[in-house]
Amino acid sequence: MTNGLEILAQAVVTGNLILVHGLGLFVLTRYTKNVREAASAGLTVAVGMLVGAILLWLCGSIIPAAPVPQVGFYLLVALAASCLTSALLKQDVTIERRSVDSAIVGLLLLMGRSGVTGVHNVWMALAAGVGYLLVLVVMATIRRRLELAPVPRPLQGLPILLITAGLLAMALLGFRF
Amino acid sequence: MKQFWEGVFTKNPVFVLALGLVPAVAVTTTALSGLALGLITAIIMVVAAVIDWLLVSHVPDNAKLPVRVLVLILLVVGAYSLLLRENPGLVASLGIFLPLVAFNDLLLQPKDEEGSLAHILLGTCGRGLGFALALVILGIIREFLGMGSVFGQQIVTGRLAPLSLAGSVPGGLVIVGLLMAVVNVATKRGGELHD
Repeated sequence: MTNGLEILAQAVVTGNLILVHGLGLFVLTRYTKNVREAASAGLTVAVGMLVGAILLWLCGSIIPAAPVPQVGFYLLVALAASCLTSALLKQDVTIERRSVDSAIVGLLLLMGRSGVTGVHNVWMALAAGVGYLLVLVVMATIRRRLELAPVPRPLQGLPILLITAGLLAMALLGFRF
Repeated sequence: MKQFWEGVFTKNPVFVLALGLVPAVAVTTTALSGLALGLITAIIMVVAAVIDWLLVSHVPDNAKLPVRVLVLILLVVGAYSLLLRENPGLVASLGIFLPLVAFNDLLLQPKDEEGSLAHILLGTCGRGLGFALALVILGIIREFLGMGSVFGQQIVTGRLAPLSLAGSVPGGLVIVGLLMAVVNVATKRGGELHD
């Protein structure tokens, strides 16, 4: 997987973090009430992914080989990336929970599992960030339209949002076969 | 006991508060994996609550979340090491979602309880049990629809091909959404977020 376009297509469509891996659902459910909020949250998480990937790239030579310390290492890198992102974007990490998202640590763990190393980490994180941001903006747009649709009361809000995300994800599954 | 039962039913983390949705959608493809991750998360949650209670007065407000994540990372790495030695198959089946417990939004949610340790533990146990229960329910439904079995016991042999989607993330999203609606009907509420 060395082709840039291939990496982008995989991260946006066939390996989308939200719709295919089920990561980052906290941000999807909390920060998609309007497009501006979704774009801002998506950018925050995308920056977090990029910072995490750069940290992994820089620390590439000291990643432990044994499984247990390796898992601990990836989790610590994700925590460092979240704190650095909050500092970079001047957000209070206690209030702005967006930068401490499962999508950041999930991406780092996925990259570790698939053996991605060096600068490829950064390209993958960039592509994954674009895919993540795109899904949040699309879901925010759909959510606005759903507010006007005659949805039964028990399904209003989160249930219909998750069902819609599921249907969108099923459409993406078509590209995998 | 009120806060215990609230955590299990009326303020169920998954179906009412929409917390911990990542494992609920991604891991509960079988009842056993739902039960395993639910119990592991609940145990880590209770231990983390005790450590939180001990640290709460010593940590400044703006460092509370990073410290909480750090404590969770230590607990998760400990649990990972223990499970890898005792049951490597389970660790392999949970994949990246076992380490992800450290970043589970249910465990990172600021606690609204104040008071004695017993009071906090009761609320945390309720939430942990409610979370595990939700994961088991989802696991049973998804395993039955996707594979025709429950806890590995084959119940029906023939099945409709589209139902196998229940075992995938898209199917999980739809099933969680539908169960949230069922809970809303049962509790006579709308579907807006209740946190």
